[in-house]
Amino acid sequence: MRGRPRRFVLVKDCAIIADEWTLVGEGPARPGLIAPLDAWFDAPDGAGVWVDGSAEVEEVAPRVLGAPVVAVHFPAFADGRGLSFGRLLRERYGYGGELRAFGEIVPDLTEYMHRCGFDAFVLADRRQAEVAIACIQRMSDHYQGSFRQPRPPYLRTAVCA
Amino acid sequence: MYAYNAIDQRFVDERVEQYRDQTNRFLAGELAEDQFQQLRLRNGLYVQRLAPMLRIAVPYGTLTAIQLRALAAIARDYDKGYGHLSTRQNMQINWPQLEAVPDILARLADVQMHCIQTSGSCIRNVTTDQFAGVAADEIVDARPYCEIIRQWSTYHPEFDWLPRKFKIALNGAANDRAAIHVHDIGIRIRLGDDARPRFDFLVGGGLGRTPVIGQPIREGLAERHLLTYLEAILRVYNRYGRRDNKYKARIKILVRAMTPERFRERVDAEWHRLRDSPAALPKAEIARIRAHFAPPAYEDIADQSAYLAAERLRDPAFNAWMRHNVAPHKQSGYAVVTLSTKATGVPPGDVTDEQMDAVACWSERFGSGEVRISHEQNLVLPDVRQRDLRRLFELASSACLGQANVGLLTDIVCCPGGDFCALANAKSIPIAEAIQRRFDAYDYQHDLGPIDLNISGCMNACGHHHVGHIGILGVDKRGEEFYQVSIGGNQSDDASLGRILGPSFKAADVPDVIERILDVYTGERLDGEVFLHTVRRIGVEPFKARVYAEDAPRRVPVIRPKSVEIGRPAADRSDDARPAKTVRAG
Repeated sequence: MRGRPRRFVLVKDCAIIADEWTLVGEGPARPGLIAPLDAWFDAPDGAGVWVDGSAEVEEVAPRVLGAPVVAVHFPAFADGRGLSFGRLLRERYGYGGELRAFGEIVPDLTEYMHRCGFDAFVLADRRQAEVAIACIQRMSDHYQGSFRQPRPPYLRTAVCA
Repeated sequence: MYAYNAIDQRFVDERVEQYRDQTNRFLAGELAEDQFQQLRLRNGLYVQRLAPMLRIAVPYGTLTAIQLRALAAIARDYDKGYGHLSTRQNMQINWPQLEAVPDILARLADVQMHCIQTSGSCIRNVTTDQFAGVAADEIVDARPYCEIIRQWSTYHPEFDWLPRKFKIALNGAANDRAAIHVHDIGIRIRLGDDARPRFDFLVGGGLGRTPVIGQPIREGLAERHLLTYLEAILRVYNRYGRRDNKYKARIKILVRAMTPERFRERVDAEWHRLRDSPAALPKAEIARIRAHFAPPAYEDIADQSAYLAAERLRDPAFNAWMRHNVAPHKQSGYAVVTLSTKATGVPPGDVTDEQMDAVACWSERFGSGEVRISHEQNLVLPDVRQRDLRRLFELASSACLGQANVGLLTDIVCCPGGDFCALANAKSIPIAEAIQRRFDAYDYQHDLGPIDLNISGCMNACGHHHVGHIGILGVDKRGEEFYQVSIGGNQSDDASLGRILGPSFKAADVPDVIERILDVYTGERLDGEVFLHTVRRIGVEPFKARVYAEDAPRRVPVIRPKSVEIGRPAADRSDDARPAKTVRAG
């Protein structure tokens, strides 16, 4: 894992913003850096952490709940493990900081990630970032509950509510 | 039948525009080939050997006459006037232009249809008994639960990017017509002591290159828990299913690797965290969906058995059709009719646009305007008045849909094979035709009784050859096509996987091989014993001896499909060559 080249573009809360964080492949963890989990011992305030989407959320969550940023690595765009990781970290462990997706991120998949609790996405370039924002906002509603909308449509109508 | 509300309609409309945008970005070079591939697969579009193939979702095999007419029009406008009924109750059309697919999806959305999740590593179209809602042996109508699962699985935030495809089947009748033992999840619905529906879950069944019979994982779940339990299974699979090797990525491999006991513990632990989440199904939602499947307004008519008996005596052809293609209905005075697509010389499951229009018309004239697709690749009219059966038989016969062979040898289940499919090792349609030509004399077939003959053109097993009473698998040996024959498979309640007889055969020899197998059966069977039971009683040896006797068709050495060898350690190959090694529980 190398440091993230500058050309990448960050989408946060559906807007392109300047990235104040630097992702690093090894420790030590310092303020302003997103360091790997194994460098995440006694991390100082203001340091972020990254993990792989295949990580055991049960082991990771208790250690990272206080982190301002948890970045989840998607090694391949079609690898859905990070979706379960993100959803569990948010819904089951109540993580409240920034949840960032990086790695091989195709704009069309950011919508799934968003529904699973991710709010920040590292895209390849500005055009991809713009497409990602459109993708996240495209669909009006979904059949299932998710982190964004825990209640499926039928629980939001008078009959079942 | 389920009818869309405003939310459903907006959803499919927005999905069409989403896919149009994806197609445009791909054509503009903004989406890489491998990225677009995954997106188009989730909208049913394959790029095949000769042209693209679009797989249209037919949820649990149910269609209205209006929808079937729309499919006929699409087949006319975008295919060469054909649709193909798949073994998962869907319809496939060939030859659509990639650029035209968004327009096809828009036309489908106009009649409340789509192609969502008909391929790709996601939850596929949920399937069930093609007689659901009308079968005389039904205990619980599976369709409302199928629709609930369809909605839950559609564009799921967490489970659309699984290690591999995922197939769910439900059955609510005494007889299993949905092959629940060979699905990633099979669900049997029955009534509990309180007369409420109860759900028994099987997990890890499947065909493909490692055929496995599903393991019971949970019995007697109440309706409320249907979706939360599915979520628990899918979450464990999504997190722990293998992603390094697509041939080891199905849930059956995970269940085997973890052991069924450990897998169950893991799922249960997850489920206990989920069971009271907002995904728990409220009674009102079940009632809302069930209301869509209320029976049509049946006429109050008496049973017409006497009239039908007289007609059957008068006409042996009608008698044969009644015997094999007409099933008893819940409602007095009505019948369930299967229209066989298995006419000799026609690829199994292929229907023309004219046939689709005709069937749509009959469904309105003789029934409630509803049509089903069976996983045996036939069409079903679920509500036919008994007094109209004679007329329907005549019309069906004149439209080449009146073959009286449902459940018989020539009712062959067959994948598109090497003529169309990019994955195939060998052709399958010409083999089906050769067998049909050899055996389509009705008297002989009738004497043989029920025989499921299934053909797959490669070990992906779309023709479900492992569970055919006779299974034929096309294999490739240095560019030449050969066929491996197995016997003793069964897809129904006492599901079993077929055992391979031995070395494979050349295409031209397959009809002789089948004939020899049938000779052994007719010589050995006890009074009234069906083929499957004879095989189970006497074993494969007598069949082997006859098929490989000195005067038998020339054989070739045992071979394994080339594709098995890719990246697989030698020690791993044996189970592909011996499907008999099942993991059947109990």
